[in-house]
Amino acid sequence: MTSALHRRSQLSAIAELRWRMFVNGLRSKRGKMELLSRIIVTAAFALGGLGSFTVATGLSWFFVSQDKTELLPLLLWPIFFFWQVFPVMATAFTNNPDSGELLRFPLTYRSYVLIRLAYGFFDPASALGSVGLLGILLGVSFGRPSLFPWTLLVLSTFALFNLVLMQTVFAWLERWLAQRRTREIMGVLFILVMLSFQLIGPMMERVGRKPHPEFSRATQIVTQVQAVLPPGLAADAIAQISHAHILVGFTSLLFLGALALAVGSLLHLRLRAQFRGENLSEAAARPSVAQVQGMQVGWNLPGFSQPVAAVFEKEVRYLARSGPMLLTLVMPIFMLVIFRLGPMNPMRPSNAIGRTPDMAFPGAAAYALLVLTNLVFNSFGGDAAGVQFFYASPVHFRQIMLGKNLTHASVLVANTALAWIAVSYLYATPHLAVSIATVAGLLFAAPLNFTAGNLLSIYSPRKRDFATFGRQNVSQTTVLASLGVQIVIVALGAAAFAIARLYRNLWIATIFFLVLAAISIPIYWSFSAALTASRSSAETPCWRSCVGRSYPKV
Amino acid sequence: MDPAPTISTQGLTRRFGELMAVDGVDLRVAPGQFFGFLGPNGAGKSTTIKMLTGLLAPSSGRIEILGIDLNAHPVEVKRQIGVVPEGMALFGRLTGAEFLSFAGRMYGLDRTTAAQRAAELLDFMQLADQPKKLVTDYSHGMQKKLALAAAVIHGPKVLFLDEPFEGVDAIAAGTLKSMLQGMIARGATIFLTSHVLEIVERLCSHVAIIHQGRLVAQGSLEELRAGVEAQTPAGSGNGTSASGEKLTLEQLFLRIVGGERRTEQELSWLG
Repeated sequence: MTSALHRRSQLSAIAELRWRMFVNGLRSKRGKMELLSRIIVTAAFALGGLGSFTVATGLSWFFVSQDKTELLPLLLWPIFFFWQVFPVMATAFTNNPDSGELLRFPLTYRSYVLIRLAYGFFDPASALGSVGLLGILLGVSFGRPSLFPWTLLVLSTFALFNLVLMQTVFAWLERWLAQRRTREIMGVLFILVMLSFQLIGPMMERVGRKPHPEFSRATQIVTQVQAVLPPGLAADAIAQISHAHILVGFTSLLFLGALALAVGSLLHLRLRAQFRGENLSEAAARPSVAQVQGMQVGWNLPGFSQPVAAVFEKEVRYLARSGPMLLTLVMPIFMLVIFRLGPMNPMRPSNAIGRTPDMAFPGAAAYALLVLTNLVFNSFGGDAAGVQFFYASPVHFRQIMLGKNLTHASVLVANTALAWIAVSYLYATPHLAVSIATVAGLLFAAPLNFTAGNLLSIYSPRKRDFATFGRQNVSQTTVLASLGVQIVIVALGAAAFAIARLYRNLWIATIFFLVLAAISIPIYWSFSAALTASRSSAETPCWRSCVGRSYPKV
Repeated sequence: MDPAPTISTQGLTRRFGELMAVDGVDLRVAPGQFFGFLGPNGAGKSTTIKMLTGLLAPSSGRIEILGIDLNAHPVEVKRQIGVVPEGMALFGRLTGAEFLSFAGRMYGLDRTTAAQRAAELLDFMQLADQPKKLVTDYSHGMQKKLALAAAVIHGPKVLFLDEPFEGVDAIAAGTLKSMLQGMIARGATIFLTSHVLEIVERLCSHVAIIHQGRLVAQGSLEELRAGVEAQTPAGSGNGTSASGEKLTLEQLFLRIVGGERRTEQELSWLG
């Protein structure tokens, strides 16, 4: 068998494997639920895709037919940002199974890269980005049919660039977050970037106060800079050809291709290392005899039993060693900065969000709750085979869940406090009434999240590796259910704040939230009380997913 | 009069749909016994051990551990036993000391005692020299040793081990064996499943064999030999092999289970 045939056979075997896994998964009720959830999620994405397709087609047709092709970057930049940022922001929707598991087979490096890219292509961000690009292709072609082949070439190169960049970002983030030292460097860099954003406010104010020349010069610089970046290069390649500047257009495409190659070589460095069996363990070098371990006393948690404190300590240690998860948890702060630059920029008071900067803190707190979804709604996912220990130990499940929920609550409190500080720095110190209403809102929302999360953690879990980034196979049922819970919470929160603002009395929101908390907290306790160690635990989805053995097994 | 058994089951049965995985098993393990539970692949060993440790509910039947009804008091039973399940039940992103301290506290030890015992166990298991190493980075043998350490940190009276020597090198196996023998000497009861019959023969005082979900033999090795003799034609030997030596456990096992090796089947494509 030639190597090409061999490779094709391997790739078709992997495709068949994925298909068989999907079909076999439908045998269980959970599998059918999973399919239903996937259909709903896909339909929602399809709607989004249809919207972006329509907008992209319409606007690109308009730009080309009106001979305003220099405006094409306005379409390509949002697609670029969505493609790259969405998978990092919403890891729950990322669906890239770990291709590293296939390395036990005699797979060639080329096949491994192809599989990695193929998995990436089926990611929702890639799918939606591609639909947007297809819209642009159609719009440009309708506007001027002769541009079709060239636009197809340019947009295909741009799509390839995005696909490769997304995989490169995941691969390198995973690398940097894998070890304590690199993680610390990343942390310091992150803080420096955050601090540097502090300068934006005063800068914007300075620009705002002065007459326009400086501002327009800055705009000019931004325009020039974006032109040499991938979305700008792709747009320029199309615009130049539309103006019959063939050489310039070709050069832009060449630059875009060169950038794709450069990013591809960075990806190659990572994938090659993975392919060769890289081990990013945190194992310390063998210490001298003098360093032999002493006694390490566990943490004390006043008011809680030893098992609850032990689970809490274990969860915190897990989190502290899970770089990708930590990165997700600092996202609310990052979002505050993004909003500071965008819709909540004081320079844009006409914007709807810009008119309500006092909502920055509740918004950030709501987002802090949202990013906890990964942890709360799949709280046994990271334990893998360790789940057996929980079932074998003489501890009721409610105590285990309490320990885990205490960790989640601690992260939420820390994140909310950080958000409050960030809002104070970036915008203005939140009013006392807003702060108290937000805390009251969390008192209602957190128990509701924890209740739903605990149930889904037991009944619809997925094993996950906290050390990997964007290579998780998430449960769509969990994603959908958690999304439903968040929508209810955000809707109630928004309604409470809207009514309170209408009556110009934010304490109304506080009272509303406290009433809801008085309902959600007892619900949490009653569900927790029902969680006793199941006698048929080896048959639960939690066991099956995390331990990896399914019954009947005799 | 026989002492009250540490482990006893009556009519223990587990069905999975139409499959009868464990069929009316009556086990009796006396205090202080090193008990080997054997059977071919798919015989029902893991299902039985999961039921005995409260990890899987039986379809019918009764289990008593140390005289306590497992169905009525699962937490009380779990408090008194130690388990090393098949998948070892470790938390990969903790260090060995952190995991043992965690395990001790989950079994009700206070923080200081848990930490003291964790340090002692790590030292005994020769795992103390790399304190910052995460469990996920341990070798298979180290993980087995750690799993056993976690199972005994609370000083259980009964220890259940599912394939404790699988994939373990001779050095690690030696450490495990010396710990287990020490526990037996102090009066604990150990129930283990293993495919390595030589180890079972050397360690265990009593053995039970399960086949197709049914218990087909139970007793000391001598009792098993006598049982085989009773079932073989007169004059063919007193539990001995053709050479006149006593039957090994492997020979006994093959005779009881009736394993026939398909040596004649050809796999012509094999090199």
